[in-house]
Amino acid sequence: MSLSLLLKVMLNRKIVTILLLLQLAITLALLLNSVLLAQQTHQQLNQPTGLELEDTLLVQLKPTTPQLRMYPLLEDLLQRQVRALQNIPGVIAAAYSNQAVITQGGNNGNIYDVDNEDRTNISSVPMYFVSPDFFKVLNVNVVQGELPQLSSYLDGDTQPGVILTQRLTERLFPGESVVGRQLNRGPVSAVISDFYGQRSAEDVMYNSIQVAPPYAVDWGYALMLRTAPGQAGAVREQLTTVLQTVEPNIEIYYIRSLAEQQRQLYRNEYGLASLLTILTALMLLVTMISSYSSAHFHVLKRQQEIGVKRALGASKRLIFIELLSESWLCTLIGAFLGIGCALILNQALAQVISIPSLNWWLPLITSAILLFSVTLATWYPATIATRVSPATATKAL
Amino acid sequence: MEQFIYYLKVSLLSIKRAPLPYALTVFILSVGLGVFFANATFYYQLNSDPLPGKSDKLFFPMTLTPYDCNDCRPPRILSYSNVQKLAASDIPSAQAAMYSSDGYARLTIDQPPTPVVIRITQRDFFQMFDVPLLHGSVWPDDNGHHQVILSRPMALKLFGRTAVVGESLLLDDRNFRIIGVLDEWQMLPRLYDANGRNHLTANEDIFLPLETGYDLNYLSKTNSQTFDDTDYRQLATEGRVGALHQLQYWVQLDTAAQQEDYQQYMQSLAEDEKAAGRHPAPINNQLVPMLGIVDYFGDDPGDIKAFALVTLLFLVVCLFNASHLALNRYLSNQYEFSLRRALGASRSQLQLQMLADVLLMTVFSLLGALFIGYAGVSLMNALLPQNSLFSTWDLTLITALILAAFTCSYLVTLYPSLRASFGSLNQQLKE
Repeated sequence: MSLSLLLKVMLNRKIVTILLLLQLAITLALLLNSVLLAQQTHQQLNQPTGLELEDTLLVQLKPTTPQLRMYPLLEDLLQRQVRALQNIPGVIAAAYSNQAVITQGGNNGNIYDVDNEDRTNISSVPMYFVSPDFFKVLNVNVVQGELPQLSSYLDGDTQPGVILTQRLTERLFPGESVVGRQLNRGPVSAVISDFYGQRSAEDVMYNSIQVAPPYAVDWGYALMLRTAPGQAGAVREQLTTVLQTVEPNIEIYYIRSLAEQQRQLYRNEYGLASLLTILTALMLLVTMISSYSSAHFHVLKRQQEIGVKRALGASKRLIFIELLSESWLCTLIGAFLGIGCALILNQALAQVISIPSLNWWLPLITSAILLFSVTLATWYPATIATRVSPATATKAL
Repeated sequence: MEQFIYYLKVSLLSIKRAPLPYALTVFILSVGLGVFFANATFYYQLNSDPLPGKSDKLFFPMTLTPYDCNDCRPPRILSYSNVQKLAASDIPSAQAAMYSSDGYARLTIDQPPTPVVIRITQRDFFQMFDVPLLHGSVWPDDNGHHQVILSRPMALKLFGRTAVVGESLLLDDRNFRIIGVLDEWQMLPRLYDANGRNHLTANEDIFLPLETGYDLNYLSKTNSQTFDDTDYRQLATEGRVGALHQLQYWVQLDTAAQQEDYQQYMQSLAEDEKAAGRHPAPINNQLVPMLGIVDYFGDDPGDIKAFALVTLLFLVVCLFNASHLALNRYLSNQYEFSLRRALGASRSQLQLQMLADVLLMTVFSLLGALFIGYAGVSLMNALLPQNSLFSTWDLTLITALILAAFTCSYLVTLYPSLRASFGSLNQQLKE
């Protein structure tokens, strides 16, 4: 069985071969890019957040009356709600915050070292205004300084201390001691370990926190609580009732674990990756049907030729391998063309969505998947070919 | 007609002889068309013109930048004071500033409040965006009024009827008189609010005058930015003079001359403001037409575009595949074609036979495509819910699908049938 003979067989049916090659090439291009997208979504969903995703619950809510959205009633409401949450069995800590963590965007502003504004100004850093137990809820570590034990006021005579995440501190004060340094938002009180804030920020780990009631809650606010391991489900079931008992004039937008919050944040990417995966599966199915049909048709057409070969001593195994080899050669040429198509498609997709570039090993894996699918589809027609009797050759005489 | 029925019968007989290859061809064509059609539904609806004949006259002006920067565009939301400066021009035929906010509505204080989305705007809004009124009228001027206009669904939800002009409701526990109720209206895509993909969402429930919104400190629910020390809790005072940006602003410029004049007006305004030290950035005026606003903001949903490209490729693959299957099928039947030729049938008669095949394949693949398309739309709604408002089929789309199904069936059948009918007669008869 020589390569030139295989090529000759393929060239004998040019149109069918071209159609098959085009299908294989486009299928590989789609398969490659779908895998890339799925891989990217998987990485996004599994990137470190610095948070306990399963055991931390988030309630997003808003008072429904204007009076409750203004001080002093607002502060009283926030304290009553936090106290009630802390009293739920299984809750380790509860806190309020002007906004949730792991979000697309939200309340943010620029931050800079007042002594070095030009060099240090970062335009969009999330600003969290929280109750003292916020850090206990997130279970973050204190790296420098001390966390404020009491809440102070944003409108007070002195600015409340600012707590920064580690990565933001490194950007603002690389390699320096920072406690007491003056930022435009106030003096630095402490540095804590990183946690995922806003996706649209320059760095998702850039966060600044002040222990103070928020300016206003016109956009709603978040109540966050950390539960003992395995208690999140039981605590979650009680949340609506507990909060409605504390104050009925509230609208609860949603209750989620941080794991759900993260999935929600990447929902579109997940959706697109799922759609492409389904489409790729369909495309593989279509390619398998095509390979099957092509092989089956040509086995039927070449019965006499196969019979002659058998009569001249070709074993069943040789016939089987020969037919599979035709499919393999076709698939390999299609895969080679497909890598070129994949590069073009990758560049076209990168114009409209975020997608990583092709690497060297993915084409090998996807080509192997394609080869496996085609082999599977060609197996049965090749088996039929081995059943052709050498006596068939006599019909050709 | 009789002859055509005969052709159809022959086609059906041919299908019955080898149903599996035919079923596979129809299946592959249906899958390709169905998947393509499902995504085309979203693509078509998302890129449709919500105001045909008028959208090219509506523009979003952006001119003043309150901070220093190089090569930067002006903010995509405007401050109240900047809007006032732009509104001083009498060049536009109509102009309206607007933003959206959240609130709670009820009829009496004893009722539970209903969450509502409020569009806070000016009277020209209704004329500019062809908003239909079912009852009542819009505000007499752009001053503050404790008067609201309700959408039809909100009127039905609150009152159970639409004839409610003159009645009152509580919006965030403040009393408002209802002066109008909209007719059925859903502008899709909602291009007047394209910032941050809001154009993909449904219309608002309640419409409130802009001045009243500022007086009552309603903050934007979508996008707001402060470029100085303005306290956003003091919208009625500081918000009207400071660099608190939260407004969208649209002008109607009916002619090319008006558009030219307005560009000139923006240029003079920016130069004056620059001279006064209120516009430190280089002048970079933008007058963006309505149909270009999503692109300008860079908020085009890339997922649908990306999937459109992929589904188009998938359709191409399915066409190649179906052609391949059809070719095998026709080559298997070549003997029959040759026999007919030998019995005196002309090639054109064979092509008529092929047309009957195409019609049958169109019908079968269309039915399959509709089923798969419906499943595809449902799946896309579940996986990409933000586009769910754009999943409706209309007559144009269905007609396009029928044409696409016919064209694809024709393309799939054309080459194989030609090849079969041009085959060597002698050789085939020998076989």
